[in-house]
Amino acid sequence: MRNAYNRFRLGLTPQSVLAFVFLIILGYLVIVPLFLMLRETFLIHPLERFQIPGSSVGDLTFAHWERNFLSENAYAFFYRPLLNTLRIALGMSFLALAIGGTLAWLVVRTDLPMKGLISNAAIIPYIMPSWTLALAWITMFKNTRIGGDQGIFTALTGVVTPDWFAYGLFPITICLALHYFPFGFMLIGGALRNIDAQLEESAELLGASRPTILRRIVIPLVLPAIFSTFLLTFSRGLGTFGTPAFLGGPVREFVLSTSLYANLIGQRPGIGYLAAVAMIALGVLVLYMDYKIIGTRRSFVTISGKGARAGLVALGRWRWPIAGLVLGFIFAVIAIPLTALAIDTVMLRPGIYSWDNFTWHYWVGDASLTVGLGTGEPGILRNWQLMSALGNTMKLAVVVALITGILGILVGYAIVRLRGRWVAQALDQMSFFPYLMPSIALGAIFLAMFAVPRGPIPSLHGSFWLLVIVCTVSYLPYAVKAGVSAIRQVGPELEEAAIMVGASWWTRMRRVLIPIQKSTYFSGMLLPFISVTRELSLLILLVTPATQLATTITLRYTDRGWYPYTNGMVLLLVIIVVTSTVVSRRVMGTSIAKGLGG
Amino acid sequence: MPEIVLDRVSRIYGKDVRAVSDLTLEIPDGSFTTLLGPSGCGKTTSLRMIAGLDMPTTGTIRIGDKLVFSRDQGRSLPPAKRGLGLVFQSYALWPHLTVAKNITFGLEVQHIGKTEAARRLEQVATALQIDELLDRYTSELSGGQQQRVAIARVLVMEPSVLLLDEPLSNLDATLRMDMRAELKRLHHDTGATIVYVTHDQLEALTMSTHIALMQGGELQQFAPPLDVYSRPANKFAADFLGNPRINLLEGSIKNGRVRCVGLELALPSGIAKPDNSAVTLGLRAEEIRLHTQPKAGTESARVTAVLPTGSDWYYHVDMNGQTLTVRQNDAPQLQLGSTVHVEAVPDPVKLFSADGLAIALPQNHSEGV
Repeated sequence: MRNAYNRFRLGLTPQSVLAFVFLIILGYLVIVPLFLMLRETFLIHPLERFQIPGSSVGDLTFAHWERNFLSENAYAFFYRPLLNTLRIALGMSFLALAIGGTLAWLVVRTDLPMKGLISNAAIIPYIMPSWTLALAWITMFKNTRIGGDQGIFTALTGVVTPDWFAYGLFPITICLALHYFPFGFMLIGGALRNIDAQLEESAELLGASRPTILRRIVIPLVLPAIFSTFLLTFSRGLGTFGTPAFLGGPVREFVLSTSLYANLIGQRPGIGYLAAVAMIALGVLVLYMDYKIIGTRRSFVTISGKGARAGLVALGRWRWPIAGLVLGFIFAVIAIPLTALAIDTVMLRPGIYSWDNFTWHYWVGDASLTVGLGTGEPGILRNWQLMSALGNTMKLAVVVALITGILGILVGYAIVRLRGRWVAQALDQMSFFPYLMPSIALGAIFLAMFAVPRGPIPSLHGSFWLLVIVCTVSYLPYAVKAGVSAIRQVGPELEEAAIMVGASWWTRMRRVLIPIQKSTYFSGMLLPFISVTRELSLLILLVTPATQLATTITLRYTDRGWYPYTNGMVLLLVIIVVTSTVVSRRVMGTSIAKGLGG
Repeated sequence: MPEIVLDRVSRIYGKDVRAVSDLTLEIPDGSFTTLLGPSGCGKTTSLRMIAGLDMPTTGTIRIGDKLVFSRDQGRSLPPAKRGLGLVFQSYALWPHLTVAKNITFGLEVQHIGKTEAARRLEQVATALQIDELLDRYTSELSGGQQQRVAIARVLVMEPSVLLLDEPLSNLDATLRMDMRAELKRLHHDTGATIVYVTHDQLEALTMSTHIALMQGGELQQFAPPLDVYSRPANKFAADFLGNPRINLLEGSIKNGRVRCVGLELALPSGIAKPDNSAVTLGLRAEEIRLHTQPKAGTESARVTAVLPTGSDWYYHVDMNGQTLTVRQNDAPQLQLGSTVHVEAVPDPVKLFSADGLAIALPQNHSEGV
């Protein structure tokens, strides 16, 4: 007995204490909600007792499962949204990968001019809110189907856009692909950059031509990176909410996430939770494929310390035309949407694009019942509701970035130092788990979990801290990834050298581990900061009037057709996000790619 | 200056990976003891357990009169309380601090006053000739300079035991020679007990007062360097030490004589081994003479390689199908392919029984080391 106690006491290291504390917290925040959500699919909710005869609230039932998968409405409830989700995710992943991969190859492997500008600009579409493009698309191409106004395109050309082009799967796929191609650009670019030049040089010495080297050496080597980028993009596509909400709503074309939202805030929470379960199942499936197919090949990309860069492919006289094309494309993806949004915010009556319709009303106007769309709404910058929502967003972004940053370091530390033990593995996998959960489903889980008091934890519904918790859990995978790679790079000896002279754990963290990897940690914080700023799907179910955020409030304005307000807010968010990214890169040397673990 | 005693120390990873197995070792006070062995032999693990960075699965460790580790008593003294300093193989210098800050970090952590810290910094910096480098960052230093800073960082804490984990393995050959001499001087000047880990047998032979030879987590032999060299405890010890490697000849005992691959020599007196028992004879390269004419007890062989090193000549000769390595320091001008006559002149005779252990010689055969 005494022996056992002594053994236990000797095993009590900072990392093991940290690991156990986090295991418990994560277990509560990640595993428990999953079961709660599953349970919700078997419960009768208040509004459902009228739909299911003879039931009362809280009864156990299989009715939701039956309705969702087997009834005559199952196609509308579930299968059609599922098919739409898969179509969109697949289509946009292929498109995004093709664009991102090509750009990566051009920047890393050719003598393309203006690489610096191109690589910086190519990341911007990703850091803009994903539905910026959707809103811009509507502003550009909407037809008279919604609200009776025409888009800029129709106003300029007189051509009325067909429904399939203006709304639904086609524009959703395009907009998402244009938002997610930077993933492919960063991750594949990183993989290409890391290939040992000698591998290509030896092929060259054996007489292989450039195309042969590309086909037989380079592509097989980056194949794992390509595949995991594809899966990453695909899983993002599964969970995305804003874009399908804006572009699919007008033609009532649902994907799983929008159907989840509609059912959950509507009259069928049971069906909504089932959609969430289905989304998580898809996420797990993707991860399983990732593990099965490339888990063993991941180590292909070899980092070499020596050897010059492999010779760059000469583009010859195509150099400048291609550079022009690439820049033109990126510029179009960034500038045209933003310009369209900006124009929309200064047009008094929507759809009429002429100088006498110009106004600053939507930015600085007084509340008015006669001028403009928003009856009784003052201009954005004077609208306390919008400004307080923006304030909430900023507060949330800063708090979440700090918390996830610190958690990332601590969890990363525990994982690296306990490597090879089951705790480390459990912690690693658990902190990765939220990554699989489509964010709207995660929001749904936390809604179910914190709506009522449970044990010592009060009901957090409607509180700011609920938003903090859900964001922290959601971005933990990124923060932990950054933390793990940072700690791993430091190497245990640097900490042990401090142990040898008697530095306490706190001193070691503060004076050795954290200062050495400053920029990596800040990169780990930058990503959550940006993500929170533009987060919509994760929080849409959790906000209340008191905790309204810049993103969620825009959705309400969109619902009323008050696009100038929505567009103005999005512009503000884009400005904030892009500025903070640029500033933090200048000041801290952070990089988004680092935060992604790419 | 304390002795270090490891008593039946084992370190088991996971279920059954034995990094160190039942290691009992008394490192004498003030000695320069080298833990020597091939990679994976458990030498670094042993060092880390002495330092307190790793915990034995079983066993106890004492430093001087302090019990620093005992699992049964739930006692593990933190590294900083053990009065020792560790120089890491990678030096582990903190890249975000200057040389001076690297050296004084420990003093700060231990709340040692500014004036005292400055005095000690100056003292070690002068002793190790790094006083010019104090304001630089460690990435701006050469390998040898980094090495000195790493040692200075440890010495400034005035430890009574100095642990060194392959400190020379990242240096180039010439620098390594200089640093060997410097470490030996350091040992002399400080009088500290030094425990030194290396896989380089030459380092072990030239620097230490004692060698603890390890393999597979087990101690093979613990003795002064020349004893390990001339009286190896087993075949592994014979084979691991010495360059070129020892020649091991299989044979047997017949009528009180050892017969191995055609060679024959008298069994040293005092060894009682029955006839026909299998033995292995160890012959170092310098314990073989090559003659152009046959003599009594010689065996003919053919020269298969001639390798002059400047001061010596190395020959490979094929004797009845076994290749022997021979070192001669005169130049007998043997041609490749010529026939020579091999004479064995072992001192002392190194015989191993079938289980690989040395057959002990009676005391009067020792060389008086």
